[in-house]
Amino acid sequence: MALVKKNSTLKEYFEDAWKAGIVLKSASTDVFQNLALEDWIHEHIDVQQRSALLMWRNSSAVVIGRHQNPWQECNLNLMRSMGIPLARRRSGGGTVFHDLGNINLTFFTSKKKYDRHRNLRVVTGALKDLRPDLDVSATDRFDIVLNGVYKISGTAAKLGRTAAYHHCTLLCSSDRSLLSSVLQTNCKGIKSNATPSVPSPVKNLQDEDPSLDPSAIMGAMASRYCAEFGFDSPVITVDPSVEQLMPGIQKMAADLQAWEWVYGRTPKFSICTSFMAEGANIGLDMDIKNGIVEKCAMDIPHHWLPPEVGKELCSALMGIRFCPSEVAAVVAALMRTASRAPDLAKKTQSLYENVVAVM
Amino acid sequence: MAVCVLLRCASANLTHALPRLSPSNAVSPARLLARTCFKRNLTVAPRFCSALKYTDKHEWVRVEDGMGTVGISNFAQEALGDVVYCGLPEVGTKLSQSDEFGALESVKAASELYSPLTGEVTEVNHALSENPGLVNKSCYKDGWLIKMTISVPEELDALMDEAAYERYIRSIED
Repeated sequence: MALVKKNSTLKEYFEDAWKAGIVLKSASTDVFQNLALEDWIHEHIDVQQRSALLMWRNSSAVVIGRHQNPWQECNLNLMRSMGIPLARRRSGGGTVFHDLGNINLTFFTSKKKYDRHRNLRVVTGALKDLRPDLDVSATDRFDIVLNGVYKISGTAAKLGRTAAYHHCTLLCSSDRSLLSSVLQTNCKGIKSNATPSVPSPVKNLQDEDPSLDPSAIMGAMASRYCAEFGFDSPVITVDPSVEQLMPGIQKMAADLQAWEWVYGRTPKFSICTSFMAEGANIGLDMDIKNGIVEKCAMDIPHHWLPPEVGKELCSALMGIRFCPSEVAAVVAALMRTASRAPDLAKKTQSLYENVVAVM
Repeated sequence: MAVCVLLRCASANLTHALPRLSPSNAVSPARLLARTCFKRNLTVAPRFCSALKYTDKHEWVRVEDGMGTVGISNFAQEALGDVVYCGLPEVGTKLSQSDEFGALESVKAASELYSPLTGEVTEVNHALSENPGLVNKSCYKDGWLIKMTISVPEELDALMDEAAYERYIRSIED
C-alpha cells in the first residue's frame, strides 16, 4: 500500500529505536486482538539481544490453555448468555478469567534467556515497590500468592524455535463472583486427557489494599522491568487493530477467534451422562474429536420413544460440531422432514434441550 | 494377508528394541539409565543398529526401512520437566523440514515440536495420550512421538550425529 512508508512497521521502529528492550501497553481490551498482539511480537520482534514486556487488559473473557477442554473448564451456557467470549491461548497451563480488574503481563525473551522466576520477581518486586508491607511471593508452580495462601497470579508459557514468552495474570479488582461462576463447568460426565486446571482460592490485590489500582501497578511494573533488564524505555502504547503497523496481525486475531481453534483444538473426549426428559431417564454417550461429534448413542426407554426416532436423532448428530447452534439446526431439520405426532415432537424437543445443556 | 500382518508385527517389535541401542556414549549423568538398557541389548541385535540424527531443536530421528521415527532428546526432556500432554498431528499430515508439528506441555509451558525432515506422518504414538510421561521416562524408546515417510533423504545428511549433538549441547550449556 502506498500509504505505508518504508520503515513504518512496528518491527522496524522497535528494532531501530529500542535496541536493549521495550515496554509496551496494548490500547485494546479485546482478548483476541491482545492474544494476536502477543503472537505478532513473538513472531516478528527479534528478542535475541532484546527483551520486551507487554501489558494488557481484557474486558470479561475466559481464556483456556492450549491443550484444555472448554466444556470441562468453564460454564459455556452462562458465558453465552452473558456474552463473555472464550479464547484458547497458544501457551500451556490452566483456565483463567479476565476482566479490566486483571492485568496481563507478557515477558518476551530468547529461548535461552527464558526465566519465569526472574519475571515473577519483577512482578513481586514492583508490588513491593508500591506497598512494602505486601506479603507476596512466587510458588514453585509459578503462581504468585498473597499472604501465603491466596493466588493473585497464574502463569503460562510458550517456547518456540528461538524465542519464548511467559505471561501471567495479576488480579487487582476482578469480579470474583463472576470469576467463580464462569469457571464452573455445566457439563457432567466428561472423560478426557486434556490438561485439567488446578482450582485455587483467589484474592484481589484491592481486597488487601483498596488504594492499589491497575494503572499504578502497571507503572510500577514498567519501572521494575527496566531496572531488572538494564535499560530505559517509556511505556509505548500500541493498538493491535492497526494492520499497517503490524502486517498480518488481523489474520492472527481471526485465527485465534475461529471455532476450529477455540473449540476444534480440544483433545478428543467423550461424554457419558444421563438426564431426565419428560419423566424418562435417558443415557447419553458421545465421542467428540476435533470438536466434531464422532459417535452418539442414546439409551432411551422403548416405551417412551420408538427406537427408530432415537436412532434418527443420533445419526443426525454425528459429524456435526459439538455446539448448540448446530444441534438446533439438525433438530429443526428433523422436525420439518419427519411428520411428527405432537407427543413425539415434544419428546424430541426435550431430548434436544437436554443434549444442548451439556454443551 | 496374515503373512503381511506377521511381518509388520515383527518389524514393529524390532523398532521397539532398537532405540535402546542408540543413545551410545552418553555423557550426561541422566543418561546412565538409558545406558544400562543399552548394554543389555547390545548383544541382542547389533546388526540392526541405526544411528539417531538430531536437530538443533532437540528432536531426534531414526531411520529404518525408509521410515523415520521422531522423538525428543534426553536433554530436551530434562529441560522440559514432567510432560503432561502431547499435542501430536493427525496421521496423513504432510510436513516440511522444520515445520511445527505439535507441542509438548510441561509445567504450564507449551513447547513447539519441529519436524526434522520432510515427509508425511504415518503413525503417532497413541500410548502418549494416556501416558505423556513416557516422553520423560523413555524418550528414545517408548516415548517416541511420530513416524513419518522420508521425502528428501538428503536432509538427513545435514542433521547432527550423536557426537555432533553432544558438542552442540555443550556449546549451548556454556
